[in-house]
Amino acid sequence: MKSIMKQLSALALIFILNSCGGVPEEKTADASEEKAFAVEEVLEMVAKENDVTRTLYTKAIVGKGKKQGMKFDEDWRKDDVEAGPLPALFLRGVATSIRKGPVPLGLYLGSDYPINAANKFQGQQAELFTEIKKNQEPKFFYDEEQKLHTAMFADLASAGACVTCHNDHPQTSKSDWKLGDVMGATTWQYPKDSLTYKETVAVLNSYAKGTVDIYMEYLDEIKAFEKSKKPEIGDKWPAEGNYLPTPEVFLDSVRKLSSYETMKHLVASAK
Amino acid sequence: MFKVSPLRKRQVIGGIIGVILGVSLFYIFTLDATEDYVSIGPMNVGHEPLNCFACHADAKGNLIQQLQSNISHTFGAREEGVEFGTQDVTVDNCLQCHDRPNDRHPTYRFSEPRFKDAIKHIDATTCITCHTEHKEERVSVESINYCMNCHQDLTVENDPLDISHEALIAKEQWFTCIQCHDFHGNHKYDVPEKMSDTIPMHIIQAYFDGGEDPYGTDKKYIALSQEEWLKTIGVE
Repeated sequence: MKSIMKQLSALALIFILNSCGGVPEEKTADASEEKAFAVEEVLEMVAKENDVTRTLYTKAIVGKGKKQGMKFDEDWRKDDVEAGPLPALFLRGVATSIRKGPVPLGLYLGSDYPINAANKFQGQQAELFTEIKKNQEPKFFYDEEQKLHTAMFADLASAGACVTCHNDHPQTSKSDWKLGDVMGATTWQYPKDSLTYKETVAVLNSYAKGTVDIYMEYLDEIKAFEKSKKPEIGDKWPAEGNYLPTPEVFLDSVRKLSSYETMKHLVASAK
Repeated sequence: MFKVSPLRKRQVIGGIIGVILGVSLFYIFTLDATEDYVSIGPMNVGHEPLNCFACHADAKGNLIQQLQSNISHTFGAREEGVEFGTQDVTVDNCLQCHDRPNDRHPTYRFSEPRFKDAIKHIDATTCITCHTEHKEERVSVESINYCMNCHQDLTVENDPLDISHEALIAKEQWFTCIQCHDFHGNHKYDVPEKMSDTIPMHIIQAYFDGGEDPYGTDKKYIALSQEEWLKTIGVE
């Protein structure tokens, strides 16, 4: 009798434990999906988008904007400074926005001659950067400590504004930059070695969202300008006068400039 | 219904008392009113009005489900275990209220490989390295010389300070940085140009311990209150 009771109690316990079922397992939506791209390919795609976006921002907004009297400053967020973000800070704004989103993508900018000494490459990054400077080829490695796939891409002086601002900056550590120089490198990190089509699109979208976020922050700063003349925000660019494009117009131009290369990759994989 | 052997009477009574006591304690200590007793220590300065759930969100599923999932995981019938009771508190929890676009040292920046050595000395990728919770203070970092991990090569053009930054660094006076510069850069105030006008260390220490803010109360961004935070996640 006693052993029957014991068995019944044990069965009851198992029944109770099982009756609710466990916590539903988080099947990643893509578990059944095929991996479409190696992480290197995806990082190359998003780095390409970054090149296009930053060149557009540097040339068409900062370069042309300065000619219209617009100001760009590293202290652009300060209340008493009425200016927009310099290209390096624009990139940092994109990186911050990406980190706030769900996509586990890391983006950083560094150099061997940075304006801010804290942005100087150290260790492995410094070694790889010396090679990047020689041939401008990207470098890929797996960071064992962080368990992250890491890629470094050359960041070139693609616009006159890059060269003049860095050469003339009071805290510059190098004042003979020329157009086309490898001024630094962007570092990208992602935890997986391969990505599904959906994850790849999510990476590209998180970058695009980042550009819109930081650009909108700039437009918000402009709203608070008291002393400076506010540019008109619409579908015109600084090349035409005291204008700035809306975030949609800006992103649209980025897409037009970068979409061909990116689409080629995405379509090739879908075939 | 159940016949209790006289020899086991005490055992049964003890068992019943135990169950009643256990259920009552579980009920009492999960009430909002008893949070202070459950907490491992008093909240840090500014966090006093927060409820436990603000940081310790319930883990997915109920306790029995969590138990079952973890037993299954132990026996290899399930790939991943699950969180039990409450979810782990991460940097994301902090950032939901404290994230600011002007943060001079945002945690995410230190994930970059080049800070690998620096974060061995001070793990700036997470808030709790300097702001350990339940300590009834503001800053819990042991030594205030952390700037030395990244800013050894700092030079300041047209240095406005009467004793140059370079001289201070050469003398390894790392604790002086904080006398002018707040780490996260959220205060709006004029930075002194004479070392003698800087904020004395004992006042900084008092601030770290929970005292008055020596950088002033003029801040660009104010962290969200619990009510404001609840609105951001759609709970009114």
